[in-house]
Order: sequence, then structure tokens, then C-alpha cells
Amino acid sequence: MSLSRSMRRRVAVSLLATVAVVGVFTTRLVDLQVVRADALTQQATKIQKASYITYGTRGSIVDANGIVLADSVQRWNITAAPNTFASWAANPPRGENPSTALAKIAALTGADPQEILRALTADPTKNYVRLVLSVKLATFQKVKALGLAWLSSEPEPARSYPQGAIAGNLVGFTGTGSTPLAGLELSAQSCLASSNGSTSYEHGADWVQIPASSRVTKAAKDGGTLKLTLDSDLQWFSQQALQEQVLAQGAKWGTVAVVRIKDGDIVAAAQYPTVDPNDVDATSPENRGARFFTSPYEPGSIMKPATVASLMDAGKLTPYDQVVVPSQYSTGFPAGARITDVFAHPTMRWTATGIIEQSSNIGISVISERLPVAQRTAYLKKFGFGSPTAVDFLGESGGLVQDPASIDVISDKAQQFGQGISVTSAQMAGLYQTLGNGGVRVPLTLAEGCERPDGTVTDQPSTEGTRVVSAEAAQNTLLMMETVAEYSNISKIVTIPGYRIAAKTGTAQVADPATKAYGKERNVSVAGISTVDNPQYAVVVTLGEPTKIKTSMAAAPVFAAVMKQVIKTYRIPPSTTTPPNIPLTW
Amino acid sequence: MSLPAYSSLPLRRNERPSRHLEIAATAAQRRARPKLVYAIVIVGGIGAILLAQLLLSIATADGAYRISALQVQERDYSRTQSATRERLDVLRSTQNLTRNAEALGMIASGNPVFLDAGSGQVSGVPSAAGGSLTASGNLIANALLSGSAIDPAALAAQNAVADQAARDSMAADAATAEGGGISTPGALADPGAAGAPAPTASAPSLPSTPGVLPSPTTR
Repeated sequence: MSLSRSMRRRVAVSLLATVAVVGVFTTRLVDLQVVRADALTQQATKIQKASYITYGTRGSIVDANGIVLADSVQRWNITAAPNTFASWAANPPRGENPSTALAKIAALTGADPQEILRALTADPTKNYVRLVLSVKLATFQKVKALGLAWLSSEPEPARSYPQGAIAGNLVGFTGTGSTPLAGLELSAQSCLASSNGSTSYEHGADWVQIPASSRVTKAAKDGGTLKLTLDSDLQWFSQQALQEQVLAQGAKWGTVAVVRIKDGDIVAAAQYPTVDPNDVDATSPENRGARFFTSPYEPGSIMKPATVASLMDAGKLTPYDQVVVPSQYSTGFPAGARITDVFAHPTMRWTATGIIEQSSNIGISVISERLPVAQRTAYLKKFGFGSPTAVDFLGESGGLVQDPASIDVISDKAQQFGQGISVTSAQMAGLYQTLGNGGVRVPLTLAEGCERPDGTVTDQPSTEGTRVVSAEAAQNTLLMMETVAEYSNISKIVTIPGYRIAAKTGTAQVADPATKAYGKERNVSVAGISTVDNPQYAVVVTLGEPTKIKTSMAAAPVFAAVMKQVIKTYRIPPSTTTPPNIPLTW
Repeated sequence: MSLPAYSSLPLRRNERPSRHLEIAATAAQRRARPKLVYAIVIVGGIGAILLAQLLLSIATADGAYRISALQVQERDYSRTQSATRERLDVLRSTQNLTRNAEALGMIASGNPVFLDAGSGQVSGVPSAAGGSLTASGNLIANALLSGSAIDPAALAAQNAVADQAARDSMAADAATAEGGGISTPGALADPGAAGAPAPTASAPSLPSTPGVLPSPTTR
């Protein structure tokens, strides 16, 4: 078989043409895919790819029952492009004009239309300016519905405190952009903090995302939930009862502590003045902190139970001990110095229990001679005085227990009845927790832990107790305190029928910072436990510098109201036993 | 052996094909012939695949718009949900509940008294109700609260309607349940008479924490 010449020529030409075409395509392909690949990819990415921020949510703070005390909420900043606005305003669409548009925005957001106009026209070359900060969803939606092309928005995370001033001082508050500024918001930052992430995606010409093109470049991380031991209802009740009485007595300040005895949980930590974290400016700066933990004061006679418990633990005292209490105490004191009682009395024959019931400073000084000051100070420190509590609140104070090596002879005894020593309300609550818990001090707890978004719970505080005094010493101290609730002048107020209450009053002299001497002002307190035969809750109430009644009688009504509320809230059953009737005199 | 039989084969073999005869196809040739059908099937198949792919990608692109729209919708719903939850948290704040409760005329109880549902015993010493829970109104600030107190007049009207309905239904129940097994109050006061174990000796019929009275689950 043989092909004709023309046939061969045709084959050759088409072969050549094919090679040429393939060659052109190959060159172009190599050029696009290899030589200019990077530049083209970048160019394409610029057009196709976009990314958006995914917002992590700052964790909330909740009470023991899950009631939200601090929560993250969504707010929006209304922003605008001044350059777009300039061209729009120069040639507005039919039926629209700049002044009505601005008036509409102002009416919706409550902003000043002149301010908005100034912001928009200050620099017409800018493409971003914030017009109104932090508006709520409804407002944001209405502004968006205006359909103005030069308006835009950006999410602005914010904090809301639905319970207002309930535990406001403890929860703390945040500034703009949820920046933590005070309280647990600041100290629990490691639990609550969130971090934003970003997601990139490819889109078509109309900015609709190309399916399956989104890629999380950085995952957003939500914050954990901080769970407190507080009961917000009881906290409210304590604050309310406290504030009513502080105002009625013209006091400067007040605190109420309610502690669950078996686990050291602080279920209420009220104070006055307090702060509403939603409206921080309404409270003066010095009252925005947590006085409960940060402001030590001289507690006065509510310290006496610590003294008798120490002496009984050391085997130096029983509730029945017969003591001769002189009209004043000056053993070893410099000339002119003496310790007296609130009321003048001749030499009295009181039992140790009688000394507590009468709240005799002289009697406490007499029995304190039975134990060296070094040992008594060691007991005070074991009760938790002189160092911050386990709560470790932001800026918490440890108070002051004097060094036994350098203590003066008067403070040596005065510390035992709560003068010349400074304590915080939290430490005082710790003392009564210990006495109620059979002498075992359990670390005070304000935050139960941090629940991470994945359900794990971290930062759980230690619950390991340390023995301070023997169970017998602690129980005998409660029996001695019970006589205060039974017979003293506060008895009528604090008695709760059916319940055996242990209580102790305190009327402390307040040192005047100007004269560095004790003045006329008093800090008055009532501390106690319910019930003596089944101790479950300790309550400590202190009013700072009342101007009407300057004795513990001013604090007693708050103590009684809070104790009743505690009994109702936690359903504490009435006592089933009767008091032992320890003699008070001999 | 006959001649015709012998000569017939070479004769046919040497015979030139005449114009009007077709070569009969062998079996192999017949199998080879439908190649065109295969080609059509393959080309048609490719066409069908391309068409399917086109339709699929149109559907996917359409889905992308749908997803986009739904995502926007989801975002809007979640925003509404957050805003509603925010509002709810404020409404259930203790300050608001107290204010509304007092607007309804509710007062605080007196001494703590408990009825143990397990034993039917009352513990504690009752006293008259303590009056208003907040002697001088709620003092604990909450800047988020405004105007959510219940209007007592509107509520009284609502209650009157509900009370009447309850009375009607109770009357109907009483009519049907006459002579039925409704326990008398005496059974509760004297459980021993009915042969039941003494309440103090028996285990509580409600689960309870030791040292704490059985608690309802309300807050």
C-alpha cells in the first residue's frame, strides 16, 4: 500500500500545526502555573478571600443556685464612613436629605444630632468613624433598617449585672470593651477571659460564600463560668436589712457575714455602702471596693469567745470557773492606765460564763493571765487573724495581730477583748465558723470553682480543715455564748423561739486617726451561731460608727433578722435539746 | 464417489464473486459491528455526566445562597435569644421579684415554722406575719430595672377571673366526688389510729438531708 504525495504533505502539515498549538498551550500553562503562579494566586485571594472575626464570650459569674450575677451581653457601635457620607450628602437620593437622616439616627439612639454631624464632617476623607457607642439590639436593628449606605456597625462586647448591687462589691465591674476593673471580674480573669478567633472563606462576586471554603484560622475561645458560694436572695436580704439599720442608726458603714459552718462557704457577704456594677459612677470611688475583705477594724468584744476557747483548749479554763472580777484592771500597767468595763461595778464574783455574758473586759484580762501572751497570740493566729483568708480576695487585708515579743502590757490584755488588734469581717466570720465546727477551721470559700466550656471544673479551693481548739473547748464556748442570747440586754431581740442561738455582742472603741487615741465613736457588732446543739450557720453583723444607739443593741435587729432568714432559707430544724443552765455568778 | 461431488468445492472456491452477492459476515464480524452503539452510549454518558455535574453545581451554588441566608437568620435568632435572656435575667432579679411581690400585697413570714410533710408535724413557734419584708422599700440598687412592677389593679381583675374559674371547677369536682375517697383531716392528726407506724419512729417518706428539713424545689 502506498500513500500519495499530497496525502503525506497533509499529514505533515497537520502534525506541525498540532505541535505548534500544543506548544502554545504548554507555554501558557507553564507561564500561568509556574512562572506567575504566586502573583496570580495573591491577586485572586485578594478578590475572593475574606475573613471574619468570631467572638468568644466572656464567662459569667453565677451564685450557688446558678442565678446570673454578671453576664456578657451583645451591644453594637454604630459606625460610619465619612467619605461615603460626603458624596451621599452632596447628592442625596430622592426623598432623603442629610439632616432628616441624622435626626432619625439621633432619635433612635438618643445621641446628639450635632455631635453625629461633627463626627461625620470632621475629616471627610476618613472611611471609619464611631458615631454611637454600645447600643442594644432593638436600637441596632432600627438603625440598620434605615438602610443608609454610609452607616455600618461593629459588635461591642459588654457586661450586664442583672442582680444590680446584690454582691456588687464582690463581683466587681468592667470598663469599656469588658475590660475588668475590680472585684472578681478582675481577680478571676484567668477563668472568665475569652479570646476571639477568625475564620477565612472564599466568596463570589456577590460576596456569597463559596460552599465548603470556610476555614477556621483561629478558634474563638469562650470564658469559663465562675460559680460563687453566695445565695443571691440571702445576700439581698442581708444587704437590705443591713442598709435599713445603717441608715436608721446613722452609721458610716456596715457588714454582714453568713458562713456555712461545715464547709466554710460564704453564703452572704453584705456591706454598706455598696456599688451597683451597672452604674459604678453612682458610688464614690472609696466605696466601690469590698470592705468585707479589705478594711480591717478593731472588732471589740466579739473577740472574747476566741480568748475563752483558747484558754479552755490549753486546759486553763472551764465554763464553771469562779473568777473574782475587780472594779478595774491595772496589773503591771504604767501609772494611770487601766482597763474598765462598759458599766461601773464593784468587785464581782462571776463565773467564766458570767464574764462572757456580762462581756467583762476586766474579767477577760484576769483570766488571760493564765496563759502567756506568746501562746495566746499563737491561738489568735491559728484562728486566722493576722493573715488574709483563703478567699484571697483582690487587695484583701490580713489585719494586724501584735508581735508578742514587743507588745505593750495593755495591748497584751486588750487584744483578748478585741482592742489593739485589727481584723476584717471575713476573718471574724472565720472565727465563728471555727467555733461552730468543733474547733476545726475550714478555709473560707467565695468561689466554688470555674466551669470551663468543655464542662471541666478547675480552680476548686481546698476544703481541708485545721484544728485550732478541741471540740470540747469549741462546744463549751458556744454554751457560754448561749447565755448572751438568753440573758443579756440583746436577748429580747435575738431570741428565736425554738432555736438555741449562741451570740456575742461587741462595742469597740474606734481610734481617731487625728488624735491617735480612742474617741467617742464605736463599732458595734453581734456575732453568733445557729443552733448550739447543731451548729450550721454563723452570722456576724457589724455597724461602723453609728450615731444614734452606740452599743451592740444597734446591730442586734440585723443579726436577728438575718439569722431568721438563714433558718428559713436553709430549713434549719429547731433545737431538740435544752440549755445546761451554767451558773453566771457564785 | 461421484464426480459432481468432487468438483463442486473447487468450483465454488474459484468462482469470482458476482456483483449482486454480498459476503456473508462471519460471527466475529457480526460481533464487531455494534461499535457505533458503544460510541453513542459513551458519548451520551459523558454528556449525561456533564449535565448532571452542571445541575449539581447549580444546586450547590443555590444551596450556598440558602446557607448564607439561613446563617444570617440563625445569627438574628441567636441575637434575639440573647437579648430576651438578658431581659429575663433582669426581670427575675431579687429586687424585681420583691417589688412585684410587695405590689401584690405579699408580706414576710414571722418566726421560722416548718411543716414536715413526712411526719405531718409542725416544728417551731408560730408568730404573726412580720409585715412588709422591706420596711422602707427595696434599698438595693439595680440600674437595669425600670417600670416592670405589676399594676395591682390589672392583677386584681385577672385574679378575680381566675378565682371564679377555680370556684366553678371545684364545685364541679365536689359534685362528682361526693362520697369518694377523700381523706378526712382526722387521718393526718392521728395517724396511729389507722394502724400506720408512729411518724417519729418511721423513716421520712421524703428524701431529706440529715439535719435539714425536706425542702421543696422552688426558689
